[in-house]
Amino acid sequence: MADIDASAPAETGGGTGQLSPVARALLSNEFGLIVLVLVFAWIFTGISPAFMSKFSVYALGRTAAIDIMIGFSMMVVIITGGLNLSVGAIGVCAAMTAGWLMQAFGLPWIPAIFGGIAMGAALGAVNGLLIVRTGLHSFIITLATMSIFYGVMIFLTQAESFREIDAAFAGFGRLKLAEGYLSPLLVVSVVVAVLLVALFRFTALGREMLAAGANPRAAELSGIRVDRMIAYCHVLSGALAAVAGVMLVARNGAAIPSMAGDVGQNWLLPAFLGPVLGGTLLTGGRISVLGTLLGALLVTLLNSGLLLMQVGAFWIQTYLGLLLLAAVLMDMARRRYLARRKLV
Amino acid sequence: MIRTLLQTDWFGPLLVTVAGIAVVTVFSPNFLSPYNVQILLLAISANAMIAFSQMIIIAIGQMNLSVGAIGGLAAIAFAGMMEVWGIPWPLAAVLALGIGLLAGFANGVLVAVTGISAFVITLATLSAYKGMNLGITEAQPFYQIPEIVKTLGNETFLGPLPWLVIPAVLVTVLLWYLLFRLPLGRAILAVGGNPHAAELSGISVSRIVVVAHAISGLLAALGGIMFVGRLQQGNPSIGDGWLILSFAAPVIGGALLSGGHVSVAGTLIGVVIVAIITQVLAVFSIDPFLVQVLLGLLILWAVGLNRLREVHAQRQAAAAARPA
Repeated sequence: MADIDASAPAETGGGTGQLSPVARALLSNEFGLIVLVLVFAWIFTGISPAFMSKFSVYALGRTAAIDIMIGFSMMVVIITGGLNLSVGAIGVCAAMTAGWLMQAFGLPWIPAIFGGIAMGAALGAVNGLLIVRTGLHSFIITLATMSIFYGVMIFLTQAESFREIDAAFAGFGRLKLAEGYLSPLLVVSVVVAVLLVALFRFTALGREMLAAGANPRAAELSGIRVDRMIAYCHVLSGALAAVAGVMLVARNGAAIPSMAGDVGQNWLLPAFLGPVLGGTLLTGGRISVLGTLLGALLVTLLNSGLLLMQVGAFWIQTYLGLLLLAAVLMDMARRRYLARRKLV
Repeated sequence: MIRTLLQTDWFGPLLVTVAGIAVVTVFSPNFLSPYNVQILLLAISANAMIAFSQMIIIAIGQMNLSVGAIGGLAAIAFAGMMEVWGIPWPLAAVLALGIGLLAGFANGVLVAVTGISAFVITLATLSAYKGMNLGITEAQPFYQIPEIVKTLGNETFLGPLPWLVIPAVLVTVLLWYLLFRLPLGRAILAVGGNPHAAELSGISVSRIVVVAHAISGLLAALGGIMFVGRLQQGNPSIGDGWLILSFAAPVIGGALLSGGHVSVAGTLIGVVIVAIITQVLAVFSIDPFLVQVLLGLLILWAVGLNRLREVHAQRQAAAAARPA
C-alpha cells in the first residue's frame, strides 16, 4: 500500500490485525480508484473506440502529468494540516521565470528550468516563513501571497508571453515514447511520485514532516522542529508547483501569464481534486502519493471522456465540481462503513 | 474617549482612510470632484455586497470560496431572463436573488449535513456554479439590458450619489441590525466564537450554518445584479476576481478568521480603502496590475495587525485577572 501514515507502526497491532494484507489492500482507497479508472476507461472505449487511440491516450497522459504534479504540490502542504492557495500563482511565476531566462538570456533549457524551479521554491519559502513567523493560518497568508506573486509577475511581464522557448525544450514536450502512446511529461510525474514516496517512507525528514502534521504538540515534545518542517513543506510545494508550471511551458511551447487563470485560481480545483480523491486527510498527517496520482488520472480521464461524449465543453466545470462533492461524500461514507465494521 | 475609540474595529481603518483621502487630495485636487466621488461610490456600493457576503461566513468561522461564482450565476441569470424571456427587470432581479439564496442554501445544507469543511464544499460548488454559468452563456455576454437598469446602475439621483448607494446603505444597516440587535445575529456570532458552547446553550448550530450561507448567497447575488447594471451587460466573467477582495475588506475591518468577531462598519471601511487605492492608481496613472500586489499586502498588514491586537487584549485580560 502506498498509504503513508505517521501513525502506521502503532496501528499494526490494533484492530486491523484480524484482516489479511490482501483484504486491506482491497479496502484501500487506491484500489477503489484503480477500479474506477478501469471501469470508466472501458465505458468510454465502448462509447467511442477512438478513446483508446494512440493520440487520445498520449494527450490524456500529457494532461494528467500536469494535474498530478499540481495535486502533489497541494498534497505536501496538506500534510501540515494547512493549504496553499498560491500554487497556481507560484506555478505561473516559475514558468515565466524559465521563459524569461530562455528568451532574454538565451539560456539552454536545463539551467532555465532549474532557475524556474528555484524561483518556485523561493516563493514557497516566503509562504512558509510568513506562516511560521506570524502563526497565522496558511489560508489567509497564501490568499495574500497568491495576489502578490501574481500581481508582481503581471507587472514585470506586462502580461506578455515569452514565446522564444529553447527548441529542444518544446521538442521534449512533444516527444512521443512507447510507440507514440507515452508523453515524457508523464514519465517526469511518475519519477517525482517515486521520489516523494521515498522521501516520506524512507527518510527521517519525510517522517518528521508527517509527524509534525499529525500531531504538532507531540512532535514538538519528541524533539521535531515543527516550524521548520512546515516551512520545508511549503518550499517543497513551491518547487512542485514550479515543476507543473514548467511542464505546462513544455506542452504549450510558450510561457503564458494567463495559463492558470486570474491570480492562478484555475489550479485550485485540480490541486484539491487529486489529493482528496486519493484519500489525503485535510487535517494533516496522512497522505497517499499513489492515491493523489490515481485521483488526478481519474479526473483527467473523466474530463476527456466527457469531452468525447460531447456533453458540451462549457459544462465540464460543473461536472468536475460535482465530482469533488461526490468524492468527499463517498470517502465519508466509506470511512463510516469501515468504522462501523471496525475494519480500521 | 480616544481609548474606547481605538478599541473599536473601525476607528483605525477610518483614520487611515481619512488621512489617505487628505494626502491624495493635496496631490490631486480633482480627487474629490463630483464625478470621481460618483465613480468611487459606485465601486464601493457593489463591492460592499461582495465583502458582506464573505463577512457573514467569516462570522461563523468558515469560508465561502463560491461567493464570486454565485454572484456571476445570479448576474447572468438576471441579464439572461430579461434578454431571452423578456421578464421585467424587478421580477428578474427577485428571481436572480432567489437563485443566489438557493445556491447559498445548498452550500449551507451540504456543510451542515456532511460536516465536511466549508472550504472543500464551496470549492466544489464554486466549480459547479461557475460551470453552470459557462454552460448557460457559452461564455458569451448578454447585451440586451433595459435602459432603466443601465441608468440605475450608473446614474446619480442626488448630487454625486448614485442609485446603487441606496441598496448598499439598506443592506449595511439591515446587516448591522441583524448581527448586533437580533437573537439570530447573536446566535451567528456565538456559533463562530465557539460552536460547542453555542450548541450546549440551545442554539441549533446546523440551522445557523444554513442560514448564514443562505444570507451569503443572497448578498453575492445582489452584488452580481449590481454589477450587471454597472457594466451594462450580463458578462459571464462577473465574479471572477471577487475572492481576494471578499476576504481583504472584512479582515481590514478587524474580522477574525477563526469566527465570532466581525464588524459591519469596519468591513465597509475596508471596501472604501480598496476602492480608494484602485482609484488613486488610476488618477496617478500607475500600473493597474499593482492593485493585486497592494491588495495582497493589505491583507497581510491587516491580519498582522488583528493578530497583534488579539495578543494585546489577551495580555491585558491576563493582567486584569492577576490579583493585585
